[in-house]
Order: sequence, then C-alpha cells, then structure tokens
Amino acid sequence: MDPTISVSKGCFVYKNGATRAGKKAAGKRKRPATESSSLLGHEVVQQPFYEEYRNAWNQVNHHIADLQHRSYARTLEQLVDFVVGQAERATPDEVLPTAALLTGINQPDHLSQFTALTQRLHAQRAAMVCVLQSRDCATLKAAVESLVFGLVEDDAEVEQMDDVDEDGAERDRKRLRRSQCTMKQLKSWYSNNFNSERKHRQLVVILPDFECFNASVLQDLILILSAHCGSLPFVLVLGVATAMTAVHGTLPYHVSSKIRLRVFQTQAAPTGLNEVLDKVLLSPKYSFHLSGKTFKFLTHIFLYYDFSIHGFIQGFKYCLMEHFFGGNAFALCTDYSKALGRIKQLSHDDMETIRRLPSFRPYVEQINDCKRIIAVLTDDDYLKKKLPQLLRDCLLHFLLFRCSLEFLTELVGDLPRCPLGKLRRELYVNCLNRAVISTPEYKECQQMLSFLSKDEFVAKVNRSLERTEQFLVDEIAPLELGEACTAVLKPKLEAIRLSVDEVVKATLAIVTATSPTETSKPTDHLTPVASRQELKDQLLQRSKEDKMRQQLNTPTTQFARALQKTLQLIQAQIVQAHLRPLQDAPPIHELFVFSDIATVRRNIIGAPRAALHTALNNPHFYMQCKCCELQDQSLLVGTLPDLSVVYKLHLECGRMINLFDWLQAFRSVVSGGDNEEVAQEQIDPQIQARFTRAVAELQFLGYIKMSKRKTDHATRLTW
Amino acid sequence: MESICSSLEPMFPCREAAIETLGELIGDSSEAYPSAIYLFGHSGTGKTALTRAFLKECGKRQKVRTAHLNAIECYTTKIMLEILLDSLAPEQGDSVKVDNMLDFVEQLRRYAAPRAKAQGFLIAVDNAERLRDMDANVLPVLLRLQELTNLNLCVILLSQLPFEKFYNKTGLGEIICLHLAQYNKAETQRILGSDFKQVRNQLLEQFAQDKKRLEICQEAVTEDFYNNYLNLFLSVFYKACRDVPELQLTSSKCLSIYLEPVLDGTVDATDISRLWRHIAGPLRSALTQIYMRIEKSAEETEDFTAIEDQSVRKLAQSLELPYYAKYLLIAAFLASHNAANQDKRLFVKHHGKQRKRMQTVNARAKTTEKMSTTLGPKSFSIDRLLAIFYAILEEKVGLTCNLLSQISTLVHLKLLSFVSGEQNIMDGSARLQCTIGLEFVLQIGKVVGFNVRQYLCDFM
Repeated sequence: MDPTISVSKGCFVYKNGATRAGKKAAGKRKRPATESSSLLGHEVVQQPFYEEYRNAWNQVNHHIADLQHRSYARTLEQLVDFVVGQAERATPDEVLPTAALLTGINQPDHLSQFTALTQRLHAQRAAMVCVLQSRDCATLKAAVESLVFGLVEDDAEVEQMDDVDEDGAERDRKRLRRSQCTMKQLKSWYSNNFNSERKHRQLVVILPDFECFNASVLQDLILILSAHCGSLPFVLVLGVATAMTAVHGTLPYHVSSKIRLRVFQTQAAPTGLNEVLDKVLLSPKYSFHLSGKTFKFLTHIFLYYDFSIHGFIQGFKYCLMEHFFGGNAFALCTDYSKALGRIKQLSHDDMETIRRLPSFRPYVEQINDCKRIIAVLTDDDYLKKKLPQLLRDCLLHFLLFRCSLEFLTELVGDLPRCPLGKLRRELYVNCLNRAVISTPEYKECQQMLSFLSKDEFVAKVNRSLERTEQFLVDEIAPLELGEACTAVLKPKLEAIRLSVDEVVKATLAIVTATSPTETSKPTDHLTPVASRQELKDQLLQRSKEDKMRQQLNTPTTQFARALQKTLQLIQAQIVQAHLRPLQDAPPIHELFVFSDIATVRRNIIGAPRAALHTALNNPHFYMQCKCCELQDQSLLVGTLPDLSVVYKLHLECGRMINLFDWLQAFRSVVSGGDNEEVAQEQIDPQIQARFTRAVAELQFLGYIKMSKRKTDHATRLTW
Repeated sequence: MESICSSLEPMFPCREAAIETLGELIGDSSEAYPSAIYLFGHSGTGKTALTRAFLKECGKRQKVRTAHLNAIECYTTKIMLEILLDSLAPEQGDSVKVDNMLDFVEQLRRYAAPRAKAQGFLIAVDNAERLRDMDANVLPVLLRLQELTNLNLCVILLSQLPFEKFYNKTGLGEIICLHLAQYNKAETQRILGSDFKQVRNQLLEQFAQDKKRLEICQEAVTEDFYNNYLNLFLSVFYKACRDVPELQLTSSKCLSIYLEPVLDGTVDATDISRLWRHIAGPLRSALTQIYMRIEKSAEETEDFTAIEDQSVRKLAQSLELPYYAKYLLIAAFLASHNAANQDKRLFVKHHGKQRKRMQTVNARAKTTEKMSTTLGPKSFSIDRLLAIFYAILEEKVGLTCNLLSQISTLVHLKLLSFVSGEQNIMDGSARLQCTIGLEFVLQIGKVVGFNVRQYLCDFM
C-alpha cells in the first residue's frame, strides 16, 4: 500500500467551534468540498472500501444529526418563542428578560445547541445574536466591547447572507475598532438601523458558560444591560451547567431583582446517548456492528469520563474507519444486494483476507468433502460462488439477533434489580459477549419470571410479543432481508403465543400425576390436629415436601407447568437460537463486526504520561532508528539521545538530584566509560552544554524543577 | 418651581419633603444652583426614579440641559465624559471626542459661552460609589464642576452609601446631603395602595370573558378589600423586604391567589380571617422566592415547583456528573477535610499500629469542637488528589487525558477552585480546594455507593 498512508501516532488539536477563528474558517469553507478529501490520495478515495465507508458514515451521521435535531427541537422552540414573545411584551422598566437553559455539564457539546438557536433566530429575522464566551470577558471593558462588537458584526453577517454577491470589501469598511464599541455606539447603531416598526429586532446575548464568568463582571454586565432595557430590547440567555442555585449563588439581590428568569430544561446527556444508541447504532438498517466489548468501551468512556455525545460519535467514527480500512474485502459490509455486486470486484488478496478470518476456519472444518475444502481454500471463483449464501446467513443472523434482543429487553428489562441490565444497550453487550444462557444473571431472571403472578406474566410476555411484532413491521419489513427475517421469526412467536394461551387457561390445581413415586401423598388440607406440636410437625413436613419438589424441578400446579414450558420455549426459540454470542456467529461475521478494541483504545484515549515515558525510555519505539535498539528497556547506551539518557539517569534518583553527580553520570554514559583518566580532569564543555540543554528540556517537559532550598539540586516532580 | 413639585408629588407619595427640598435647591434655573447634591438611601427608596422624573420635568419646563448616567457603565473616564458631553451639548454632531477632564471642561465652556447665561445644567450620576474607583480626578472635578466651568451647573450623585464613605486623603469639597429614608410600614402600604385603580382595571380586563366572575370581581374588589389584602401581605413581607418595586411585583403575583376563593364564591369578600387562612401558606412560600424572579409559564407549573424546592439532596442527585468525576469530587472533599498526615492511616491497607500516647489523646480531646469539616476546606495538590482518587476507587483506571480533563471540568463548574498557582499547573505547585459541603458530598457518595463518613478523620 502507499507508504504515505499511515496512521500517525500523535495528538491532534480539534477545533471545537467555540473560537472565533473557527467561525471565520467556516465562512471561507463555502468553496466546493471536493478538495476537502485531498488528504487521502485518489488511489484510496476510489477504492471500494472507502466508498462504502463514506456511505456508511454519511448515513449514520445524517441519522444522528436528524435525531438530535428533533430532540433539541422542543426546547429550542420554547426558547425561540420566549425570545420573540419579549418583543410584544411591555417590559416594566429596567427588568431584563432572561432565559436560563440548564444544559448539563458537557459544555462543548451544547455549543451546537446555541448555534442552532442563533440560526433559528436569524431565519425568523427576529433578533441579533451575540454569543459571549467567558474567555472574552475577563474585564467589564472587554465584555462590553465584545458584546457590542458581536451584535454589530452579527448584523453584518446576516446582511451578507441576504445578498451573497456583496463584496468582501464592503464588509471590511464596516468593521469597527474594538475601542469604539460602547453602549452609546450600540444605541446609535440600533436607532439608525432598526428604528422603524417593520424592522424590530431583539438583541439576544447568549452566555453559553455561565459558571465560568467572573462574578463581578457578570453582575456589572447585567446591571448595564438592565439599565438599557428601556431603549434597547435585550434578552439574555444563560447556559447553566449545574443548577439554578448557581445563578442565585452568583447574583446578589440587587442584581437578581433586575432580571426576570425563565428556566428551560434540556435533555440529560445519558438520555441523549441512549436515544442515539437505540435509534441509530442498534438500528437494523446498518450492516456495520460494534462487538460487545467495543460497544461497552465507548459507552464506558461516555458514562465514566466525559458525558460527551460528540466524543462518543467521534469514537464510533474511528471504529468505522478502522474497520473499513482493513481492505477491500470489508466493502462487503453493506446491504445485501450491493454486497453481491461488490463480490465481482474482489481480487485474490481480498479473498485471502476473507480466508484468514478466524470464523472461516470452523466453516471449512464443517465441510466433509475433501474436494470442496480444497476448492474453498484455493479456488477464488468457487468461493465467490459460495459467498452470497454466507453473506446472507450473516446478515440474517444479525437481523434476527436484533429482533430477539427487542423481545428479551421487554421481557427482562423491568425485573427487580435488573440482573441482565435495564437498557437495550446493556443487554446487547451481555448477549454479544458470552453465551447468555449459561450466566447466573440469566438464571436469576428465569427464576424471577417464574415467580410472577399469572396476570403479570401473561401481560409481560404479550407485551414482548407485541413489541417484537411491532419492531418487525416498523424496522425490519422495509429492509431487503426483512421478509426472510419475518418468515423465520413469525412461527416462533406464534408458538410462544400459543404457549401463553396455555398459561392463561391453566389453573392453580395441583397435578398429582407428576409425583407417583413419592411415598406419602401430599395432603391438600391440614388434618385436624390435637396439639400445637402436631401442627408444627405437619407444617414442617409440608415445607420439606415443597422443597423436594422444587429440587426435582417439577412444578406442582398446572399453571406453574405451563409457565415453565413457556419459559423453556422462549429460551430455546429466541435466546438460544438467535441471541448467540459473537464466537458462535455464522462464518465471516468479522466482515460486519468491529472488535479490534486494542487499536481503538490506543488511538482514541490519550495517555500522555505513558507515551512520554515510552518515548524517553525507549526512543527506538518511535524513531525506529538502528542506533538505539535496546535489548532491555532499562539499558543505558551512549547512542541514545541526550534527553533520553538524562531521563533514565534521573529515574534512578530520589526526590532531590545533585546536578554535579548527574553530570558525572551523564558524562560516563555518553563518553562510553573508556577514558577513566579523563574523569579527574575538567569536563568537556561540549558535554556540559549537551547536559545543560537536556536538563532544560526535561524541565520544560515538567519532570524536574530547580530547587530553591538546596543549591545545585533539582527536585523530581513525577513518580 | 411649584409647578414642578406639584406635578411630581402625586407620582411619588410619601416623598413630599424630599421633592420640596430638591425643588428649593434646583427647582429654578434662573437662580444659582448648589455645586453638588448627594442623594442617598437604600435600594427601592426611589432615588433614581425621583431624580429622573425631576430632571425630566426641569428639562421640559425650563431652559435646562440634563444628563443622567450610570457609573457602572463608565469603565473608562472617556466613556463617561463622552456621554455627558453628548447629552449636555447635543449640537456637537455625531463624533463627540473627549480624551480627558481638561478637554471636557474646555469643550463644555466653549459650547456654553455663546448662549445665554441663564441656561442651567443638571447632571445625575447613578451608583456614584463607583466613581471612587475611577481616575483620581473624576470625583473632585465633578464636585467642583460648577466652579471650573463657570456655568450654572449642578451634579447630583446617587448612591446607597452615606457620604462619609467617600472621604479620601485629599479631601473633597462641600456637598449637600439628602437622605431618602426607608418607608415605614404605613407609607409602604400607602404606596402599594396607590395603584389600586390600575390593579382593578387589570383584573376586570382579565375576566372580561367570564360574566359571572366579572360581576363578583366588580363587586368584591373595593379599595377596602385591596387595603386589607395589602395589610396581610405586608404583615408577612415587611420584615423581610422593604424594597418597594420588589414588594409591588410580589403582591401583584399573590393577589390572584388571594382572590381565588372569593371568585369561586366559597369565601365572602369581607371574611378576612378565612381569607387569611387561605393565603398564609402561599405567602410564606412566596417569601422564600423573593428576589429570585423566576417566572413560570402557564403549562409548566409543576416543573416549576420541582426546580424551586431544591434541597441539597435533590441538588446532589440531579447534578449530572460522570462516574469518575463523582469519585474525583469525593476525593477532593476528603483531601480538603483530612490532614495530609492522616492519609496513610486512612487509605493504606497495612498502615501499621497507631501508638496511643497521652499527648495525642489529649490533643484530640481538645480539638473535638474544631471539626475539620466545619472549619472549611484546606488546600491540596493535584498529586494528592489523584493519590486519594486511586485509593478510594476499587477498579484500576489508567491516568489518561480523559481523567485529567475532568479536574478542569470540575473547576469550571465551581465545584473545585484554585487556591494558588493556577498558572503553574505544570510544575505541580498548583493547589486546589473543594468548595462543596458535607451534606452534598454525602449525597454524591450515596449515589455511587461510597460511604464518605468512613474516610473522614472527624467521624473516626
């Protein structure tokens, strides 16, 4: 493959869209986007795998964007109504209408919400919007200036949107000097532009990160805005990450009495994620799947570390890239009919890739004809003929898996303590990771289900059936293999339904036929007893019998038997048949499932400390040079870079490092230790300079600090 | 002058004396103004409104130029001077440019020179206490502006502080102080009652659709009824709040609740004791929300109460934090409220036996009232925070970017704060502090299933 195509190891800074620089760049990016993919050469872009990757990603991305748009929509609608509504409202003097949006803690994610709000307001021509970041507002002066600048510039941008042909020169002329941006200027600008009734606009000031603002600046800013409320129609929008107490904690009475707060609640981040997972990643529409471990890994980052949906989606995208980058064989990971077309394009190498898949081996082994085995292993054309059937099996398996998951989720999702997990994603991970039937959690679920009352049990199973059927109709039917999937599942569901009907009909009468072997016939009623002791004995005996029966697993009543039968049916037909773990999945499932968790972990989780240590301890790892190859990690060789030598020496020291000793050690390593007699003499200035530079670099990296207490000593900062 | 006073008096009940004094001082532009007036009083006593109305009347009736500005807005002297000049000498055109005090005085004199001598100038400065923090010459010059410009000019300073707080080393010129005292209860009631007609009209308009209610409303809402309501209202609120605008707002909010049983016909409009029993609860709950100014839309009344009633427990549970961030927060709390020398005993499994000496027992007995949880947080370094975090977390977690960035997220959310060394995080000398309380952290611990008390020295 092309040597330039490599995934480099390094950290990249991503623009989060919050900065002004990003905004400008977005303006320039109006040029046709054909050049944007030029990072990869033509030879890559035209490969089938790349095409499929792009298709898959575009589909998923649109789906997610659409979903998020819809989930924001309600809050956004309310907020826009609030802003627009302020125009009609006669405000009592000097009270600033304010909307507090409780966004949740991941603020970079929420910038997109504020952008959406801005766009919506622009589209309605209802308001001028200024997004005021806390970093622009270190002082009141800076805050007011960026506020005025933002509002006036925003106008310029909107105007530009009106007539695209307008020259850039016009805009440059308009641009204000920062120091000219005062409230007075804003007032005259507003009265010049929007004085007439028809062009009435609100002035919306958005503070996306309320908590980060300096309290005194914020208070003054609110006082100023409220003082101008009479002449300029300001509306303040606060993005609050924690809770309303933060607002009341920051603003004292004399400030908070100048605003009129309305609180808006947005969707919590975990709910947002669950929505994305349920509707997009677990949708049967896509043929790409994450393995249980990768799936868990990504959700783990979200739930345990950052609550960032955006981060999660990027992680998913990385998995997608990594998967398709495996080669053209992975171009088969697409719709059935498309994949059939792709088969013809596969080269010999691609076929070899398929043969090397771990799940291909069991497939070969189960063929019992020698000739056919040889054909499969050597003849590309023969395998190509076989492939459609394999692909079909695979795709069908995943569809069935997904439907069965729906059934199981409804069945065990609301059991007390949720042994298998409450949410679809948890069940997905559990089912895909190991054979779920053999787990103790599953047995616990079975037991709990059998403890349910008749009504509850029947209702539950019916609900599961309905849900699955609904799912079949809504999601599966429109798909290519939908009919096949429905055909497989329908009879099974019918069988379960019949069995449930049995349960409905069953009575609580005890079936005695099951225990003919038992010596003492179970008594239905307590015989009249003479004494307390006798009664106790009888009861004891009964409970013993019950226990025995339970151990034999022979339910006594008709109802219990029917129930057991239903559960066994479900287990056999749904769980065992379709919710198989990944290792039992049909051959070549690796084409559809991404499971290389190690690569993803290495590449999307930054571990700067570990990377630095590797780089300094074993430079060969990154540099791939011949001179620094080490047999043992702890080896010290003179050919290593100076910094690396100094680092390794410093690892051996305690808290304080004597610089002179360090220098001596450095010299002996670098000069190879062969010139003993030189040791007494003056140190070579060249070596001393190299040492000094290396120490300075180490200090720059944050490993040491020059001590102030002890002369000529450095303090170690890491352990 | 009389005409000004008489037109203002109905607008500002109970401020007759102040209006008269003002009228005597600056009511007549043909007489010489005092050079400066200092008007002070608590918030909500009508300083700004009164001054604004007074200036407006003066400007309307006499040949007076007025300027009213807010000192908060004037973060540089230049802005203040430009605003002043813009309103005092409006014929200058669009591009007013004043760089310093000297320039300002010069331009003002140049502007006023060709015009008649009788012209008056009035300048009012809100939040005048901010003038102290501005350039050193601003306050002295403003107080002596009449002398410097040689114009019939008066500066009115409005502030909540008494003038004694303005004295500085160089001393200030003479000033006439005018105090607007807080309204007493009877006065407050009179002021609130003065908008009775407006309130009644509003109510009638509100029920214009509903015939039956309209009739009841017309009959029941009399001046007496309204005064009774205000009496009840003030009996609850006057102790807590004397800010008149705030009281006005709250009273209009509560009136509809008070009126409800009368409109339903369940309680007679004159039966005050029953009405009181009905309104007491809502009034008390309104008292807790005073100054908060949270308004509700019609459909989300229930949500509103949920947001309002935020005990610590609810707050801690509603706070959405990732799992490890919660543990970091707990670790930060432990680091803030335990002494560093106790760490080994608390977090290391085999920490050895602690020798009990009489001295330590005595020392501990002496400090029992000084619990570290009540003394407030101590600072800790990031290394210690991470060490405790790893000690209290059962599973093994890598020290990754994601984890470290959580610390800065917590700082952003103001749950942690930097005590020192914010600039040099790199060399490890930055020190942090945990800002949340014990109750809060106990709740967070409960959410993740971690007993915080067990690891606090105070409770051992």
